Amino acid sequence: MSSVVVLDNGGGLIKAGYGGERDPSSIIPNCLYRPLSSKKFLHPTPTTEEDLTSAAVRRPIDRGYLINPDLQRDIWNHLFSNLLHINPSNSSLLLTEPLFSLPSIERATDELVFEDFGFNSLFISDPPKLVHLYEASRRPYGLVSQAQCSLVVDCGFSFTHAAPVFQNFTLNYGVKRIDLGGKALTNFLKELVSYRSVSVMDESFIMDDVKEKLCFVSLDVARDLKIARRRGNDNFFRCTYVLPDGVTHTKGFVKDPDEAKKHLTVDDGAYLETRKDMDRTEIMDRKKVDLTKNEFDLTNERFLVPEMIFHPADLGMNQAGLAECIVRAVNSCHPLLHPLLYQSIILTGGSTLFPRFAERLEMELRPLVPDDYQVKITTQEDPILGTWRGGSLLASSPDFEAMCVTKAEYEELGSARCRRRFFH
Amino acid sequence: MEDDVSNPFRRMSMRTRKIAPKMAAALASSDNRTQAAIARLEALENDYTGMETVEAVDDDEASLDDDDDVYIQKKQKGTKRKTRQAKALENARKAPRNFLELLHEANLEALPPHVPSYLRAAVGPPSSTCRRHFCTVCGFTSNYTCAKCGMRFCSIRCQKIHDDTRCLKFVA
Repeated sequence: MSSVVVLDNGGGLIKAGYGGERDPSSIIPNCLYRPLSSKKFLHPTPTTEEDLTSAAVRRPIDRGYLINPDLQRDIWNHLFSNLLHINPSNSSLLLTEPLFSLPSIERATDELVFEDFGFNSLFISDPPKLVHLYEASRRPYGLVSQAQCSLVVDCGFSFTHAAPVFQNFTLNYGVKRIDLGGKALTNFLKELVSYRSVSVMDESFIMDDVKEKLCFVSLDVARDLKIARRRGNDNFFRCTYVLPDGVTHTKGFVKDPDEAKKHLTVDDGAYLETRKDMDRTEIMDRKKVDLTKNEFDLTNERFLVPEMIFHPADLGMNQAGLAECIVRAVNSCHPLLHPLLYQSIILTGGSTLFPRFAERLEMELRPLVPDDYQVKITTQEDPILGTWRGGSLLASSPDFEAMCVTKAEYEELGSARCRRRFFH
Repeated sequence: MEDDVSNPFRRMSMRTRKIAPKMAAALASSDNRTQAAIARLEALENDYTGMETVEAVDDDEASLDDDDDVYIQKKQKGTKRKTRQAKALENARKAPRNFLELLHEANLEALPPHVPSYLRAAVGPPSSTCRRHFCTVCGFTSNYTCAKCGMRFCSIRCQKIHDDTRCLKFVA
């Protein structure tokens, strides 16, 4: 009995582990990085204590697709031999690949799996299908598994997909994509902060951290912009982030964690009370940001950055927002599926972790959906791992081996013919 | 921004101006503002790759700190002399190409219209054409557009900052 390696090869993080387990045994960034102190590009380790200030990054994946197989081989090699400790020649691989991959990329992936690593057999799956599978198995009597259909909204590192899944197959004619993901958001935040306070264009890792800790989705942009304009303590959104100085701390941090949580009180109506003494605080108590201390304030950036997923047009992008993307994905399916799809929207992917993402999506989606349909948005308990867990489930199913393409078949038939088995 | 881009009769100054070479390239196109916007969106997908020294050092003799096996391979091949052109060609072949190049190569436009593909999966333009505008300086709602470059600002204060720092620099 050979073991099955489940590998969710994301643009941002690789989630890898053994089929049948609940959690992946290693999650590493899918990149090589070179800190200032090093001349070589290094492999990231799960618990990196290194100083990542101004580290250069190389990623094998561009816009979600594998473009640099050599680099990917390096990273996988490190992963398989040092972290997972497996021998590819007696294991199978379940690999995720984004939807609508190009034939040249598929060929490169197959070469990598069979020729460079020599895996026994390979199964390629698209992420939405696995997410659906996992959700269906979690609630065997829920709608998702009874109707065998769901709409998976995957907002990841490279892009955002709304994909209808029916009977465990992704309906590829219904899939809609927004070319915006976590990476673009981080870069957008970088751009804003660099222009307004300190130049952080080189700090990918630090800005990722800032985004994860401080950004949130606004439920009412106009109102929140007004609040963000206030001064002093009335401004619930102002928050200071301290950049690493390389001496006492090598990681950046939020200066005052309570301050960062203040925005949560806004929706309770607390913001109305403080309005009266606004004039008083108007007197110049404005805290000057000290540039020598290497910290910067964020106010409206905190919600304007995730806002871009809902309104890419604000960024100058000629694409519809997430709510409209979902509606279009549903409308391209059979009309009988529409009510079912709206009732079983599954949110997954790291970029859905912004606080209040689901609420905002529901707010935007509801007016666009016909009155007599229900809208129900399910969030996953761990959106980053959703795909991997589905893969792990699939790998432990009894007929998994039969679905795989074996090395012998690949050698006999070649890449293109083998790919037909995966129906996409 | 888009309404003044689409108008081909937009009045442009006839004056010749001194401009940096990069700007000249941007201005050479008919509607440089769209070009700038596209370039900026592409930049959002970029990584910080550090100084591009690694690539340049690659075929130098001094690259001893590279992986050892690479070095050994080079030694073995060393008997055959390579011209610079051949080297450049080989490097170009080996260099990873970005996704857009691969996409172009795959020629997805040639597929029949009913086949779903990467290009057809894009969500398409938003149904509502009205856009919210944010000040490019401070981020709040803006009511004014820079007459020179089309970026938005909200107040005289922001306009001054805009004029001083990024007017005509084409980073929105």
